[in-house]
Amino acid sequence: MSGPAPAQAATPGDSAQDPYDRLRHLPLGTHVALRHPSGRRLAGWLLPPDSLSSARVVKLKLPSGYNIGVRIEPGTTFEVLPGPPFGAEATDAAPGNGQGAPRPAEDPIAGTVALLTTGGTIASRIDYTTGGVHPVKEPGNLEALYPGITSGGPIHVRSVAEILSEDMTPAVWTRLAEEVVRELHRGVRGVVVAMGTDTLAYTAAALAFQLRDLTGPVVLVGAQRSIDRPSSDGVDNILGAVRVARQADLGEVVVVMHATPSDEQLAIHRGTRVRKMHSTRRDAFRTLNGRPLGMLVGEELRLESGHRPRGTGPARAEAGFSDAGELVWMYPGLSASTAEACATRARGIILAGTGMGHLAADHLPWIRRATERGVVVGMATQCLEGEVDPFVYSRGRELLQAGVAFLGDISPETAFVKLQWALARSTDPSVVRRLLVDDLCGEFGPARGLGTKKSAPDAGKEGIA
Amino acid sequence: MKAGLEIHQQLSTGKLFCDCPSELSDETQGTFVRRLHAVVGETGTQDQAARLQSGRGLRYRYEVSPNSCLVEADEEPPHGLNPKALGVVLTLSELLHAHVIDEVQIMRKTVVDGSNTSGFQRTALIAVDGEISVNGKRFTIPSICLEEDAARKVGDAPGEVQYRLDRLGIPLLEIATGPEISSGEEARDVAEALGALLRATRKVKRGLGTIREDLNVSIEGGARVEIKGVQELRAIPEFVENEVGRQTLLLELREKLRSHGASVPTTPPVDVSEVFRTTTSRGVKDALAKGGRVLALPLPGFSGLLGTSKTGPERLGRELADYARATGVGGILHSDELPAYGVTPQEVEAVRSRLGLGGKEQDAYVLVAAAAGPAERAIEAVRARAREALRGVPEETRDPVLEGRTRYSRPLPGRHRMYPETDIPPIPIDARLLQELHLHLPERPEETLARLTSKVGLAPDVARKLVREGEVEVFDRLVASGHPVPLVARLLTTELPALEAGLPAPIAESDEARVRLLEPVLQAIGSGRFAKEGLGRVLTLHFQERRDLDSAIAAAGLSALSAEELQGMAKKVVEANVGLLRERGASAFQPLMGDLMASVRGRRDGKEVAEVLRRAVQERLGALGGDGKSP
Ligand SMILES: [Zn+2]
Repeated sequence: MSGPAPAQAATPGDSAQDPYDRLRHLPLGTHVALRHPSGRRLAGWLLPPDSLSSARVVKLKLPSGYNIGVRIEPGTTFEVLPGPPFGAEATDAAPGNGQGAPRPAEDPIAGTVALLTTGGTIASRIDYTTGGVHPVKEPGNLEALYPGITSGGPIHVRSVAEILSEDMTPAVWTRLAEEVVRELHRGVRGVVVAMGTDTLAYTAAALAFQLRDLTGPVVLVGAQRSIDRPSSDGVDNILGAVRVARQADLGEVVVVMHATPSDEQLAIHRGTRVRKMHSTRRDAFRTLNGRPLGMLVGEELRLESGHRPRGTGPARAEAGFSDAGELVWMYPGLSASTAEACATRARGIILAGTGMGHLAADHLPWIRRATERGVVVGMATQCLEGEVDPFVYSRGRELLQAGVAFLGDISPETAFVKLQWALARSTDPSVVRRLLVDDLCGEFGPARGLGTKKSAPDAGKEGIA
Repeated sequence: MKAGLEIHQQLSTGKLFCDCPSELSDETQGTFVRRLHAVVGETGTQDQAARLQSGRGLRYRYEVSPNSCLVEADEEPPHGLNPKALGVVLTLSELLHAHVIDEVQIMRKTVVDGSNTSGFQRTALIAVDGEISVNGKRFTIPSICLEEDAARKVGDAPGEVQYRLDRLGIPLLEIATGPEISSGEEARDVAEALGALLRATRKVKRGLGTIREDLNVSIEGGARVEIKGVQELRAIPEFVENEVGRQTLLLELREKLRSHGASVPTTPPVDVSEVFRTTTSRGVKDALAKGGRVLALPLPGFSGLLGTSKTGPERLGRELADYARATGVGGILHSDELPAYGVTPQEVEAVRSRLGLGGKEQDAYVLVAAAAGPAERAIEAVRARAREALRGVPEETRDPVLEGRTRYSRPLPGRHRMYPETDIPPIPIDARLLQELHLHLPERPEETLARLTSKVGLAPDVARKLVREGEVEVFDRLVASGHPVPLVARLLTTELPALEAGLPAPIAESDEARVRLLEPVLQAIGSGRFAKEGLGRVLTLHFQERRDLDSAIAAAGLSALSAEELQGMAKKVVEANVGLLRERGASAFQPLMGDLMASVRGRRDGKEVAEVLRRAVQERLGALGGDGKSP
């Protein structure tokens, strides 16, 4: 170990000697002592700069564990201190290695659950020195993040994409469907798809429309509260998703997330009927217009009647999406010309109408022109709860006469995903329209009574007022 | 010995990261349940203390209070840092001559005992290198931090701990002193001085639990031990002295252990369940009945040094037991205290022979009876603690128990449990804001004392009491709105403290709210609705029995006493005491006054009552003829 480097005095005004520039070029984690022109001394380890920091601020990790920002004046001096860089002196052993390693199985596939990751933080590790997020690939690392995840059987992890949820594309939906089919053909019990929650419901619908004859559940899962916090819902969610994938007699695409603010109460939602209804809460995901397909409370798995059981297979994918569809939100003041501009290059349009599926009268002419040209136009309600109905008011009947297809209680987003999928199946508008209005995988709700409005059946006992 | 203090003071500014108020409440709006998981920190390592906690697999149930929102429930990211709370900390940093950090970074400190819904406590270093002088001695203030308070623990059930969200998120100002304190009394004096300075900001909460002290104590050759959450200043010296005693004892024990050639084996514990198959020892029997095990760990050379209840309050056996308990078992049995607790001499001998300790008088052993997993964890904790005994004093965190004693709670947290709060951007501290604060610093406690005595004219002990009780702001405001100084002083230094001593919580925590509540009472006196003598009674009826002010005044029988009624009452008292009057003349005035005041019960001003009585006495004496006797 060498002694402290001599203090490196800086001359104000000499940019080559600017202590700020020199500090910025030291390796991250270097142990330094900064001396302010006033004489105040602060020693710590250099951290990566924060993009939101003010000018000339250097971040330090102090021996107490606190991070602080220090403004480097032209007259600030510093010295590099001896000793190991930050992190290297850590004595705590990394957790989970070797513990609860995957159970050796006679047949490596029987009982296996496939975990497909797409890059959300739920299956990632955060590197605080670089700020980078890396997908978890080793089962050992997975067990460290989610203790007990392999206790029911092996997990086969594959990274399908490394993108944020908000960067999700139909191309990834396509790839995911193909990967799911590949895994099911290999004989896994079920497939879990881990992703960020922002567009999770779109992905769920996209997989549901693409996949047929599923031999096991395809379970989408995410974390509303970041996985780098001890309270993250991600742990329960992913453990629950694996349990559902392994045990549930389900042959469809579902979403497993918290049903209430409490842990240990997860809802199983049908992929085409689920929507993210809150930006941050754990129970953000709800089944619209009905109850979830089932619940996982602690270790008890309950499925409602009406779910689709595991099929005999072979599973197949009608994969791929068109980009010739549009989704238009009908709001007061939207001009007909703006809306029609959307129709010029589209082969299909979903209108998110008001109430039971209405819009302003000045839109009727362009809609008539579009349907006459062979553009498929579907109507869903922006109310989210309830269904569209063309027969109650005259505007509905006018739209019906204009050739608009009314799409029941399906959400505008699910309708849009379905349209993009249908447009990729055929160039014939009548075929596309047929696909759009037919119930392909339970996307249209069953009859509703007043008692079925609440989406989480057991949400009443515990909850935030 | 060396000691340092960490003072945690709740602020009355509203919560730190949301818009909820700082005031506690007992109303519950439902509950929710969570579990916490150890996460990998900044350096890729898990905090040891955090890992131990989450390994216990507890569930945490949270009671939702009206002063909580999605932030406390960890259902929403924190809002920005409360600027009022930051202002208080910056002001205090200036008062302590500390250097404020250029750019503040909120950190997450891993806490997985459930007291924080998120699993971490948000905390930020605001200033460094301050100082304070107490009794002519200088003490350094290495750090001033701003953090969020934890949820309040309200219950404990097997496998489940219950908390309330009302306290979670209240700002805590943390001041740490350097290790320059050299006695328990000095620790108390420094705590008192810092407390007075905190109250000088006039933005702190009051009442039990709103200020908490952590004591860091170490002796020569000992280790840093942190005693968490001492709530009463006067208890500080006792805690410090007991800790010094405990560390001294542990060092003495180390020497004895070394001279006995003591060692701690590395071999696995021995299952001695067989020995206890027909035991009458209740705890052991219950554990075995539930399918548990009795595990034994031999401790060669420890015999006679583990201690029994007769050897004093501090003993090695208790330290081993506390470590075992921290893993979740009920306790341990050790050979120094056996046979006892239903364990027979035959069983003791059988264990000794199973462990191969027959005839080795110097060798001790420890037994744990519990389910297999927990028993094994507990024995390993005992083993680790026994090893520490050979080294001396382990660094650890201890909780206060009764009579100035403490109990092991967990290892000292390492710095690996701190990582950045990524939901809040760094907060630059504006140099102009600091200059502005510097120009408008609040009165220091010594300045307040000088003003109250010389300018306001209060007696020094009354002034000191106002400063100590943190009532200066309330006093100044009430006096500024025109209430008489002596009345306000009496209210705040006598009547109100007496009332609040009997209440579970102060009538209000913030100065604003206190002024709002007290103002109408003083107004009622000022406008003659009741006399100041009735103040104590009205306060009790109003604040303790929760009557509105009008009915409190009425119920105190203070409202309607006319001048005629007073004169009538005076005459009655005089007539009833004609004999006394004859005997003692005008000097009978004092006992008569006592009688009359008792029946007036504060419904008229005392001076006025005396005047009326004096006239009545003179009239009656006149009627009796002459002055009567006069001393
Ligand atoms: Zn709040």
